[in-house]
Amino acid sequence: MNEHLMLTIALPLLGAFLLPIIMRSSLAMGVWIGPAILGYGCWILGNLWLHGNGQPFSIAIGGFAPPIGINLYVDAMALLFAFATQLLGLIFWPFRLDQDTPKRQALMLLLVASSTGLALSGDLFNLYVFYELVAVSTFGLIAASSSGAAYVATIRYLILSGIGSVLTLFGIALIYAQTGTLNLAHLAQLAPDQLNNDLGLAAFLAILIGIGVKAELFPVNTWVPEVYATAASRLSAFLAGLVSKLAMLVILRLLLLIFHQPEATQVILILGILGVISGEFAAWRAKDMRRMLAFSSIGQLGVIFIAVALPDERGVLAVLALSLHHMLIKSGLFMLADHWGGSLDRLRGLAATSPLAGGLFVLFALSLVGMPPLPGFWAKFTLITELAGQTDPLYMIGLLVFLLATVIEASYLFRVAAKMYQTKPTENVRINAPDSGGLSLTTASLFGAGLIAVTVMVSPLGEALQAVAAQAQDVDLYIQTVLQQPLGERQ
Amino acid sequence: MRNLTGLLFAGGLGFMLLSIAINLDFGTPTMLIGGAIQSKALQETGATNIVTSVVLGYRGIDTLGELSILFAAAASAGLILGRRHTTAGTQTAGGFVLRHGGSMLFPLLMTIGFYIIFHGHLSPGGGFQGGVILAAAFFLPLLARPGAQLHHGTLSLIEGFAGASFVLIGLIALQQGKAFLQPMLIQDTLGVLLSAGTLPLLYLAVGLKVGAELASLLSHLAQTESDV
Repeated sequence: MNEHLMLTIALPLLGAFLLPIIMRSSLAMGVWIGPAILGYGCWILGNLWLHGNGQPFSIAIGGFAPPIGINLYVDAMALLFAFATQLLGLIFWPFRLDQDTPKRQALMLLLVASSTGLALSGDLFNLYVFYELVAVSTFGLIAASSSGAAYVATIRYLILSGIGSVLTLFGIALIYAQTGTLNLAHLAQLAPDQLNNDLGLAAFLAILIGIGVKAELFPVNTWVPEVYATAASRLSAFLAGLVSKLAMLVILRLLLLIFHQPEATQVILILGILGVISGEFAAWRAKDMRRMLAFSSIGQLGVIFIAVALPDERGVLAVLALSLHHMLIKSGLFMLADHWGGSLDRLRGLAATSPLAGGLFVLFALSLVGMPPLPGFWAKFTLITELAGQTDPLYMIGLLVFLLATVIEASYLFRVAAKMYQTKPTENVRINAPDSGGLSLTTASLFGAGLIAVTVMVSPLGEALQAVAAQAQDVDLYIQTVLQQPLGERQ
Repeated sequence: MRNLTGLLFAGGLGFMLLSIAINLDFGTPTMLIGGAIQSKALQETGATNIVTSVVLGYRGIDTLGELSILFAAAASAGLILGRRHTTAGTQTAGGFVLRHGGSMLFPLLMTIGFYIIFHGHLSPGGGFQGGVILAAAFFLPLLARPGAQLHHGTLSLIEGFAGASFVLIGLIALQQGKAFLQPMLIQDTLGVLLSAGTLPLLYLAVGLKVGAELASLLSHLAQTESDV
């Protein structure tokens, strides 16, 4: 049964290769292949979650035992994100039919396969390969979205992404030159002796900046507003909601397993703080709905980076809670904003024409700001208590910036909400008020319902997340599971 | 200002690289995993070319990833190029020597390409290298005769089925109760053409896919320029 997990990566790849051929002979059959594969992937992962014994396990690909071969490491955190990938891939499936459909759907399958790989892989270079695949398939998807503006956005994204890839590869090469292995568990074992030095730090910084391109890390996130504002909003939702979190997950894993230098967390903390400040202020000034969401996403990811810099298990819990919460909210908001492009003034009086859309926006905004009892409150509360417990003054700055950001966030989100609920729209603006498309509104309602469900079940879910965080933090468990040797034999 | 920032960044990066390079000892690489693979590869995969045993055996999933990256890049390029209409490119037809030279090179390049693919598990070479030569074989006549076209339908058929067969070989292993992409059918005669089990099959898939992809990408580029 465990071996079937491989299918969640292999089948989307197979589907992507065959899709253009199948679609040429039978379009009716072709359009169902992608959703069927992703649905099956959800089923496999859901089954593992429900019927697994909760213990992490490792799958050796090609039958070569790690550290020589490549392995997938499956713990609760990896499983959670892999499941989210397949599910969101299914929800944001590009249904639109035109001459580009086969290629677009094939690229989407590749994106889902590689994202799943990012969540599961236990090998540094394999992570890099999947990361590259994520990058290349998103280039195509964004460029295929629509307009000339999307082309321009793609080029900036392409250049930044290229720099990021080179830096990541450089960092990996440094690590390999120093240790002679690429397996994460093996590296975790060797790291205290061999990577706890300047070279390890330099390698980490290179990888951080490189992978940070996707995780919207502060200096390398200039592609974000353009891309999210011009790409198809289903794609923006997938990128902002999921792919950024997966890059974050990779950074978190590397930090937990391999890089234990205090300087590493300090850099993350500082970049996170700068990201929060720049993102939130830019969002406050933004005049366009989707641009505002993009900047706000940079700010939110900055907050998650601050959480990544926290040292212990509660920090991991805060990262998980904030990531999942942001995944839910941002996906929903981007779906809502599907037809809300252009000036924010167009949204005047929208709540009157479409009460559901207005209500959903207020719900998402409240949770994003952190209004109890919505889940956003609990996620932020975990972070605040944890930050307040630290002695290092840098964490205090983080706390202050975080609180300030919350105020700014509330200010710009409710400015929009107030605009929607304004009662006396002038005639000509009234005509301009966009209608939310049926499909995107339905999808957004789905996320709204999910948010309410989480609100109701917040206490059992919190406990479950705590267990996930504890497992993810356990380096010895990771090494033992992958290399299958008793703890006593560690060097 | 922007130039200055770029210069500062490049200078800083260069300084970092230098200071790191000083601490690394060259000439004595750490052969932790490398050594282990060298001592086991012949028995475990049956391929005399150890690079092949790494590319298709130990790190087979990476190769599948690389193939997918190539596929994604070709598909993306197809999406973008498919709609661009430049009026550039009024090529003149090649002369007699160019045209017939191109035609005569075709069988030679095909032979070399397939030779390199089929001997990938025995000697340096393999699917990626052979695939590029195959692509060149198809692209050369195209360069010599500007009006000629490759049949894109056939190319995408080859491309799709080659990629799919790589995954399917992996899935067959899974279905037989082994691990995904585990090498199968390994006999113990080293160094003959039919050895190393499924690895040559995987390399054939890689070669065909790389060849078809590059050929279709190049001809796409050529056509986009000559579209009026």
